[in-house]
Amino acid sequence: MLDISLQLILNGISLGCAYALITLGFVLVINAIGAVNFAQGDFVMAGGFLTVVLAEFMVADNFNPIRASGLIILPLVLISMACFGFLFSIIAYKPLKNRPPVTVFISTIAMGLIIQHSINAGFGPEPQIGPALISSGKITIGTLTISKQQISIILSASFLILCVGFLMNKTQLGRKLRAASQDSEMAESIGINGPRCISITFSLAIALAGAAGLLLSNQFFVTTSDGGLYMLKAYIAVTLGGWGRLDGAVIAALAIGLFEVIMATLVSYVVAEALLFAALLLVLFFRPSGLFAEVVQRRT
Amino acid sequence: MSSLYSRDFIVTLIIMLIPLCLALNTDSYGQRIMTLSGIYAIAAMGYHLIFGRLGALSLAQGCFFGLGAYSAALIGVHFELSFLTCLLFAVIFTALVALIIALPVLRLESHYFALATLGIAQIALLIAINWTEVTGGANGAYGIPQLDLFGMELSSSNDVLIFVWVILFIIVSLTFWIMRAPFNYQVTLLKDTPEVAASSGIDIGRWRLTFFIMSAIFGAIAGALQAYTIGVVSPATLEFQVMVSILAMTVIGGKNHPAGAVIGAILLTHLPEWFRFLETHYLIAYGVALLCTIIVAPSGIFGLFEKFLIRNPGYDLKSLPSIENKAVCDANSTSLEIQGLLKTYGGIKALKNLNMTLTSHQIVGLVGPNGSGKSTLINIISGLQRQDEGTIKLDGSFIENTASYKRSNRGIARTYQTSLRSSDLNVYQAILACSSNQHNLKHRHNQTHAILRNSRLISKTGSMVGDLSTADVRELDLCMALATEPKILLLDEPAAGLSSAEQQFLSTKIRHLAQSGISILIVDHSMDFLLPVVDRLICLDQGSVLAEGAPAEVLADPKALKLYFGNSRS
Repeated sequence: MLDISLQLILNGISLGCAYALITLGFVLVINAIGAVNFAQGDFVMAGGFLTVVLAEFMVADNFNPIRASGLIILPLVLISMACFGFLFSIIAYKPLKNRPPVTVFISTIAMGLIIQHSINAGFGPEPQIGPALISSGKITIGTLTISKQQISIILSASFLILCVGFLMNKTQLGRKLRAASQDSEMAESIGINGPRCISITFSLAIALAGAAGLLLSNQFFVTTSDGGLYMLKAYIAVTLGGWGRLDGAVIAALAIGLFEVIMATLVSYVVAEALLFAALLLVLFFRPSGLFAEVVQRRT
Repeated sequence: MSSLYSRDFIVTLIIMLIPLCLALNTDSYGQRIMTLSGIYAIAAMGYHLIFGRLGALSLAQGCFFGLGAYSAALIGVHFELSFLTCLLFAVIFTALVALIIALPVLRLESHYFALATLGIAQIALLIAINWTEVTGGANGAYGIPQLDLFGMELSSSNDVLIFVWVILFIIVSLTFWIMRAPFNYQVTLLKDTPEVAASSGIDIGRWRLTFFIMSAIFGAIAGALQAYTIGVVSPATLEFQVMVSILAMTVIGGKNHPAGAVIGAILLTHLPEWFRFLETHYLIAYGVALLCTIIVAPSGIFGLFEKFLIRNPGYDLKSLPSIENKAVCDANSTSLEIQGLLKTYGGIKALKNLNMTLTSHQIVGLVGPNGSGKSTLINIISGLQRQDEGTIKLDGSFIENTASYKRSNRGIARTYQTSLRSSDLNVYQAILACSSNQHNLKHRHNQTHAILRNSRLISKTGSMVGDLSTADVRELDLCMALATEPKILLLDEPAAGLSSAEQQFLSTKIRHLAQSGISILIVDHSMDFLLPVVDRLICLDQGSVLAEGAPAEVLADPKALKLYFGNSRS
C-alpha cells in the first residue's frame, strides 16, 4: 500500500515537474511582454518531436545500436529550442511590440496553429514515443520499488528550475532580463538592450518548453494535438500561483501535476480535468484578480 | 452622419450579394461551400461584436457554436419539431448559458477573461464527449432532420444556400442597427479607453453584457444551421479549431466592421479549395494568413479597402442648421461637498480626512507637490477609484458609492492628465460619443456642433484623434467632458504642454464656463496659468488641506510658502 501511494506521488511529482518547466517559461514571457504565449504548449509538443527525431537520428549513426538516451539529447533539445524561441520572438512579437497585448495573443495563436499543423503534416496524428531519460529500469530500496525514469525526470527538471532561479537572481544577465521585463524603456536608458533581452527571455522560455517535451515524451507519448492542453495547464498554474510570480507558478504546477495523477488514479482522468477547470473558474469567480495579489499593480 | 452609416450598409450588402449571386450559378458543391461561408459569417458576426468592437478576447465563441449545434440537433432528433422551433430553443439555451457565464466572467481582466472563457469551452467539450447517453459521446448524434421552413422541406442545396444567407442578411441588418450612431462611437471609446468612457457616462457593464450575449446568440444560430445542413453533430464542433477558425475569419476579414466578418468567412471557407495541395493541413494556411494579417494589416482586408477606397469625410459645419448659442448648463445652485475623505495605498495615506466644497459659478484651483493626493482626489470624485472612508454629496444626495458612469450622468465630468486616446475616431465622433444619452440623436448632433463652435478644434472636426497634437488632445478632452453636460468639471492639468496663447484661450473658456454656472476644479502646476483664473485656491500637502482661500491669501500663507519655496529665511 505504501509502495503504491509512494509510486503515485512520485508519478504526480514527475508530471508536476514537467508542468513546472512549461509554466516557468510561460511566466517569463508574461513578465517580459505582458501577454500570454498561446504557442507555449505547441513548443512542448515540438520539443517532444525533436527528441523523437534526434533519438532516431542517433540510432542511424551506427556508433551505438540502441536509441540514444534522453539525457544525452537534452542539451541538444535545449539549444535548438532556444534558437527557435529567438526566431519566434522576432516573427511573432517584434513587429507587434508597440501594439496592445491582445495582438500578441493572436499572433501566438497563429504561430501555435502553424507549428501544430506543420508537424502534423510531417509526422501524422499518431502518437510517437521518445527515449527514456537514462533507462527504463526500476530501483529497489528495501521494500520500495521506484522507476528510474521518474526519479531522473524529477532530478533533471529540478536541476533546470534551479538553473533558471540562479540565472534570474544571481547573474548579471538575469538582472538585465528582469530589468527589461519591468520597464523596457527605462532599462534601455541605462544601457540595456531591451529588445534583445526580451528575445533572450523568449529563448529561455521556449527552451524550457522543449525540455518539458523531452521529459514527457517517454511516459506520455507525443501527439501533435497535445499543445493546447499543456498551454492550458500552464495558464491555470500561473493564475493559481499568482500572476507573474515565478515561485508561485512552480508550486502551482507541481500541485496540478499531483492532483491530476491522484484524481486520475482514484476516479478518472476526465473527472480530474473537469475538476481542475471547475476549480479554476471558482477561483476566478471569488477572486477576480487571481488567488494571490498580482505582482505588478497598474497605475491609473 | 446617417448618410455615412447607410453607405457602410450598402457596401456590406454589395460585398454579400456578389459572391452569393456567383454561387447561385455554380454546382451544388460550390453552393454547399457557400452555405458554409454564410454559417461561419454568422458566427464571425457575433465574434466581431465581442472581440472586434469591444476588444474582449473571448475564447468561448466556438463553445457557443457547439452548444447551438448540440441543443438544436438533440431537440430535432428526439422531438418532431420544426427547424425554427429547434433554433429558437438553441438560441434561448445558449443565451442562458452565456448569461450565467457572463456574471462572473465579464468583470475579469483580459488575460483572465480569455482563460475563463477557454476553461468553459473545455468543460463543454468534456461534457459532450463523456455524457454519452445524451450527446452520443465521441461519435456524436446522427439522424438530424432536414432543414424546413413552415412545413416545406429545404432539400436542394440552392434552397439551403438562400435560407442561410437570408438569415445572415437579417443578422447583418441587426448588427448595423445595434451599432447605429452614436453607439458605435461610444463602443469604440469604450474599447480604447474604458476609463474615459466611464467618466463620460457610458455604462461599460451593460455594453459588455449585451455584446457577450449577442455573440452567443449569433454563435448558436450558426451552430444550429451547421448541424442541420450536415445532418450530424459531433464533439468536433466544440473543439478549439472552430474557435480559431472564427477568430481567424474575423481578424483576417477585418475585425472592426461587419463586412469584415463576411469577407473573412467567405475567404477562409474557400481557402481549402484553393490550396488543395495542403489537403487536410489547410490550418497551416489559416495560421500564416492570421499571422500576416495581424502584423501587416491589423484592421484586416476590409480595413485596407476602407483606407484606400473610402475616405471619411470631414464635417462641413457651415452646411448644418445654425442653432442658438445657449449656455451649456443652466443649473445655478449645484454644490459638491466632500467630507472626511480617506484613502490609503498599502501603508501610505494618500488622503487623510479631507474636506472640500465646490459651488457653482466658482473656479477652484488645487495645488500641491507631487504625491500630495491631487490626482487621487479627482479619481475618487469621478468614481475611478474608491475612497476608504468619507462621503461625497452632490446636490444633497450621497454619491460616494455610485459607479463612475452614473456620476457622469448626474453631472460630474473630468479630463485626464495623460491622454491615451482612441485612434479609430475622429474629433466629431469622439465628442458625439460622450454626448448625454438623455437626448435624441438630433439634439446630440446639435450639441456637438455647439461645443465645436466654441472650440479651437472647429477646423479639425474630421481629424483622427490619434493624429492630434498634445494641445489639441487637451482641448478635445475638454470638449468631450462638456458634451456630458456637466455641473461639476474636474480638470487634471489642463494647461500642461500648452503654449501661452493656447493657455490664454483656455483661461477665457474656463471663465465663460464658470459664468454659465458650472463649478470647476483645476489641478495644475503652472501658477501663471492658475492664479489669474481661479476664485479660490486650495493647497494640499500629504493628503490634507494645508491652506485655503483667495489666491493672494494662500500665497501669503507661511506654510504654503514653505512647501513651495523651502525653508528660506531671507
